[in-house]
Amino acid sequence: MQNAATPISAAAAGFQIQDWWLVLLMAVPLAFSFIIAFGAPHRARATALFGTLVAAALTTVVLFQFNWGNGAAFQFQNRIAWLPSLGISFSMGVDSVAMLLIALTGLLGPLCVLASWTAITDRVRTYYAWLLALQAAMVGVFIARDLILFYICFEFTLIPMYVLISLYGSTNRKRAATTFFLYTFTGSMIALAGLVYVAWVNAGLPKDAFEGAGTWTFDIAVLQQAAQGSLTMAQQSLVLLALMAGFAVKVPLFPVHTWLPLAHTEAPTAGSVILAGVLLKLGTYGIYRFALPFCTGAFIQYAPFLAVLCIIGILYGGLICWVQTDMKKLVAYSSVAHLGFCVLGLVALNTAGIQGSILYMINHGLSTGALFLCVGFMYERYHTRSMKEVGGLASKMPIWATFMVFFVMASVGLPGLNGFISEFLCIFGTFQASDTWGKGVWGSSGAPVPGATPGNLGPWYALIAGLGVIVAAMYLLIMVGKVVFGPLREPGAHGDAHGSHGESHDSPGHLPADLTAREITALMPLAIACLVFGLYPMPLFDALKGPVGETVAMVQDVRENGLNNGAAKTASVIDAREGTR
Amino acid sequence: MTTEFTATLAQAGYPAAFQSITLAHYLFISGAMFSLGLIGFLTRRNLIIMFLCTELMFQAAGLALVAFSRFHMNMTGQSFVIFIVTVAAAEAAMALALVVLLFRRRESLDAEEWSELKG
Amino acid sequence: MTNLLSNFCLASAAPGAATLSPILLGPSEAQLILALPIIGLLFCTLCAIFRVKSKAPAFFTVACLAGAFALVVRLYLNKTGTPVITSGFEWFFLEWGDGKGQRLVANFSLYLDSLTILWMLFVTGLATLIALYASEYMAGDLGTGYCRFFAAFNLFVFSMSCLVMGDNLLLLFLGWEGVGLCSYLLIGYFYKKPSAVEAAKKAFIMNRIGDLGLLMGIGLTFVHFGSIEYRDIFHAAQPYIEAAKAGKYNEIPFLVQLIPVLLAIGAFGKSAQIPLYVWLPDAMEGPTPVSALIHAATMVTAGVYLVARMYPLFLLSEYALPLVAWVGALTALLAATIGMAQFDIKRIMAYSTVSQLGYMFAGLGGLSSTGAAFHVVTHAFFKALLFLACGAIMHGFAGQLDLRKLSGIRRLKGWGIVSFGMLVGCLNLSGFPFTSGFFSKDMLIGSEFLTPGMAPIGWILLFTAGLTAYYTFRVFFRVIVGPLHYEPGDELHSAHDEHGHGGENHNEHAHVQDDHQHHDHGHGGHFHPHAPGWAINTVLLTLSVLSLSASALNFLHLPNQPHIEGGIVPELVMESSAAYESPYARHEAHEGTGDGGHEGPDAHGTPSYVPTAIALDDPHAHAGTFLGWNPHAVMFYVSGAVGFIGIFVAFVLHYVGRTTAATAKADALLPMLGPIPGWAQHKWYVDEFYKYSIYWPLIILANLCNLFDKLIIDGIVRLFGAIPRWIGNTIRPTQSGELHGYAAGMAAGVAVLLFIVFILTLR
Repeated sequence: MQNAATPISAAAAGFQIQDWWLVLLMAVPLAFSFIIAFGAPHRARATALFGTLVAAALTTVVLFQFNWGNGAAFQFQNRIAWLPSLGISFSMGVDSVAMLLIALTGLLGPLCVLASWTAITDRVRTYYAWLLALQAAMVGVFIARDLILFYICFEFTLIPMYVLISLYGSTNRKRAATTFFLYTFTGSMIALAGLVYVAWVNAGLPKDAFEGAGTWTFDIAVLQQAAQGSLTMAQQSLVLLALMAGFAVKVPLFPVHTWLPLAHTEAPTAGSVILAGVLLKLGTYGIYRFALPFCTGAFIQYAPFLAVLCIIGILYGGLICWVQTDMKKLVAYSSVAHLGFCVLGLVALNTAGIQGSILYMINHGLSTGALFLCVGFMYERYHTRSMKEVGGLASKMPIWATFMVFFVMASVGLPGLNGFISEFLCIFGTFQASDTWGKGVWGSSGAPVPGATPGNLGPWYALIAGLGVIVAAMYLLIMVGKVVFGPLREPGAHGDAHGSHGESHDSPGHLPADLTAREITALMPLAIACLVFGLYPMPLFDALKGPVGETVAMVQDVRENGLNNGAAKTASVIDAREGTR
Repeated sequence: MTTEFTATLAQAGYPAAFQSITLAHYLFISGAMFSLGLIGFLTRRNLIIMFLCTELMFQAAGLALVAFSRFHMNMTGQSFVIFIVTVAAAEAAMALALVVLLFRRRESLDAEEWSELKG
Repeated sequence: MTNLLSNFCLASAAPGAATLSPILLGPSEAQLILALPIIGLLFCTLCAIFRVKSKAPAFFTVACLAGAFALVVRLYLNKTGTPVITSGFEWFFLEWGDGKGQRLVANFSLYLDSLTILWMLFVTGLATLIALYASEYMAGDLGTGYCRFFAAFNLFVFSMSCLVMGDNLLLLFLGWEGVGLCSYLLIGYFYKKPSAVEAAKKAFIMNRIGDLGLLMGIGLTFVHFGSIEYRDIFHAAQPYIEAAKAGKYNEIPFLVQLIPVLLAIGAFGKSAQIPLYVWLPDAMEGPTPVSALIHAATMVTAGVYLVARMYPLFLLSEYALPLVAWVGALTALLAATIGMAQFDIKRIMAYSTVSQLGYMFAGLGGLSSTGAAFHVVTHAFFKALLFLACGAIMHGFAGQLDLRKLSGIRRLKGWGIVSFGMLVGCLNLSGFPFTSGFFSKDMLIGSEFLTPGMAPIGWILLFTAGLTAYYTFRVFFRVIVGPLHYEPGDELHSAHDEHGHGGENHNEHAHVQDDHQHHDHGHGGHFHPHAPGWAINTVLLTLSVLSLSASALNFLHLPNQPHIEGGIVPELVMESSAAYESPYARHEAHEGTGDGGHEGPDAHGTPSYVPTAIALDDPHAHAGTFLGWNPHAVMFYVSGAVGFIGIFVAFVLHYVGRTTAATAKADALLPMLGPIPGWAQHKWYVDEFYKYSIYWPLIILANLCNLFDKLIIDGIVRLFGAIPRWIGNTIRPTQSGELHGYAAGMAAGVAVLLFIVFILTLR
């Protein structure tokens, strides 16, 4: 976090491959996107698979190159001038949080192509080209160390997603795509205003305040320093409001979530997977990367308010899931509930909470992405997502049923699978984070309370959010009970065509009753990841230790020294310089 | 009307009688032309006539510009008018061609025939 | 109530062995106990993938579990009396400072003390036997279903082992939810049956409610004690225990006292106590071996284990143990009354399980952790035996479980062992003298009378013991003895190899009230019940012998240990954290010192930390009495008499003069009781109460939320979208599309401009 502002000139040091890893990560999918767009249609999906596999391989290489021991430092930094007069540059670098999310993106890429293998038959080139462009944009968001680069990538994700939904979605796709686009776009415009405001404040600072002050710059590290040093509480609150307008819509938090079920329901399977897997995380990542460091003071102050929104989302989303009959809608609303936990952990502002929150981003991507894949595979066979029409598929599709139950359990938060790790930490972090522990509440006066952390949430928040765990079990098991178990029910229209399955469908893929090897290949990595991260999350804990520790230290600094600390520091620097003059 | 200006006119060889023609006269003519054009445009329904009326208004504006240009002894106005004339010529060619095409469509020059841009 | 209890609620509490600092070891062969079921699970999964159609998964499972059992026995033989912690790989490790309570650690480490070993002994032992039984019982399902069954079975044993052996609360929670998952999968084993799916779901969700309590308890434990590892908790709780010893509960923060209450909520969910007991009877939808292992012998005792494991914390609270005791006693009574009115023999056994679990909780709450643990062990054997016998009947009679349609099956050829097993189980359950159930129940009830303030619970339990004897022998006298008569169950429809699988046209298992007689006697003529084979018979015989010989546990003693009444099981408990020092025992020890310096294990075998049981011999203790007598001295006779009365009533009402399967003398008496039997048969309408007081309001709330989301929240969003559209629509007519209109507009605009200029120049 310190002084990423110092320009790293790749040219000066000669060509070094580690400077270009990140560019490559973004360029490879983009290049393949162009190759697909201008190549032959019949080769599009193979090229896409190849492209995503290359990207995944590259991601793996970068994962191994990354120095996990120093996860808090931004690595592979590179900066290419873009608009020097405005201080805008292609500045990039990743810490372990970004690295993990890039890994998630890289993993989901090939799986999405596999999931679309037979489902997409028209305009194949357009589809896969946009899919890869989307991947490039998502990687761009995570590697950006420049606000404008971040924002461009952040917004650019809308366009591929818009195309994917509006061209390849189901019946109501136009409306869904438009709503998705306008809703998130409106939010992000306000967020842009907030981000530019922070840059503007920096440009107005005295030059001596710190390195990088006094000129227009969009370097994230510099702006973070500027914001912490110079924004008053009122300014921070406004910036927080603006940023949350953009990021909360993306997450989505409670009152601004209605685009999500619509978009998820209408999107093609791969679209849903990407949407749930990575796009929603752009919101939480944005909160973690910008809202929290830029306006720490306001964030601390408004944490209970945000937490209440999260908890409403958890319970309200869960209850709505309960009465859904559309499986995709159910899983979509469950995302509202799940991401409520994710943001709740973040606003707990302690180690357990923030760790849990970041892990939640990854784990939710794995388990919910997989659930969408499962639902998509079923949809491809029965052309319905209604739980009223299909049921008891365990007898017909035992492999599918096994995966479905597995991922539902991961999503429910069963210990031993990945969902539990993050969910437990989020609830636990919320539970700990209270200043009232050991201070006369319920006769706890005087007793030492070693396990508490400062904060303004506490056990009540945790308890009420914990009810969401019960609700999650209810709605997901009801879905499993209807769709996977029970007597076999299939849509009436296809009732006669059981023997010759292909005839009743227009898909050319003549899918067998149960999952094909291709589909199993798409689900297997996710299943393995769910199990491994559930039983052995230590690598993730270790990787996130650095950045989470720094974030908590930053929050602690503001808690102890108040907001004026940064400004005071700035002033003292200026005084010292004037004195020497 | 300043005396220097009159003197300048005299030096330029203008007949004395013209000395009584002031800026106001030009502007009056310009205004009258514009009004005529406007009234014609509003009342007539024949596309060609309407087009001619727009030309009339155009030239009225041009006249005013020239007059002011002369009044302020500033050539910008006049050069602007050159542009106007050029554009007007090009526009006349385009517009008349369009009118001919429209006439071919509907066998009529009535402007009321065309209202497809209704909101 | 608090007044009465305040003096007993541990006027003194000192976890015996827990205060000993545990020995830390690296990974040991104990970790293999966890690994073996996992190997079995992997093998079963492979079998499922390659569609193996043989009994290989079953026998492999039996081998793995037997190996695990052998390892546990080895642990038992090598135990030293000091807890041992063997470290495993790291699971949770978070750190945010160097101080106490600033790191969250939960690893796959094992905490091995005598309590763990006790539990593991019967868990792995019974699992091995029941897997053997299931190898035959599930044979109708050979193929993927068979593999699925044994995979879940292995996973269950793994989870249960984590639960019991874990050295921290989070690993316990992993096992806790893991056994819940296996219970879910196995109850819903016949997944085509809607009732089974429903029951599975209910079990999982009910358990989750309790789990939230447990989770909050874990959170509170961490916040207050700075760790969730047992050794740290016990260590950190020490100052509070001192305070509790001195009776200064006001020095213990309320939140610390709340921890055991929260943990107890979790225990109530898992062990099917009021108010979360309703899932257990429904869980009988699962295959019988599952009912026997999970829902009778092992999983449901996890709650008892939790309380016993965290006993030092329970001793800190003024409220927790009385709560546990009263909930247990009321559950015991309620479940017994429901059990009396049921006709489905498996369900009767289910309610008796709930009831007996109530006994165990009452025992824990009544300061008799030893009695409770003893009862857990004996109950595990005889209840597994009863379930397996019921299962054999169900298996042989095509799913028939209605005691009105079965009678005198001992007269059938090949059913001798089943009948014998049933008799042994029933005798144990009803506390017939000198059976193992008799000893454990006596110890338990006796302690209630001993502990001041707990006498009402003792009376409730005593009364319930009578009811238990009655409903147990009601089953025996109707099904096993009497005139021979049987009707097959509704599984006769489906082909035999689809046994229990429930075809698509398979009806719900409405055994209880199934009055449409689609299986008339004609059917019965064609129907030949098939007697159980060698595996079932072996297991039944083994369990019968074990159940009977379990009473010997009462007379066995640990070597080199002071003898404690109740034999080896209480002695094992006393070595562990579940031990406590009774105030009355201390009293006696003190007097002993005064008399002649006898302290510690003396000639009478009375150690300094004797449990309540022996301490009561001391007349000076402020212990309760049973009508003026020493409870333990007279309880043998009293409970024996109560049991005899119950059995005799059952004999008169259900055996004497009964000529058909369907009716007995009892039916004539029913009208005298008015509507009460009907209410009991409908389980006191508790399910309906939950349905209308919780389920429906929630459903309505959910629907309201859904509407709110669609109309209000999305409505507001659409409103924002609608504003520009409305503006556009409003000014749209001005765009007439006619040239003259636009021209007029322009002219008007010019005119207005001119007018404005005119006005401005006027000034």
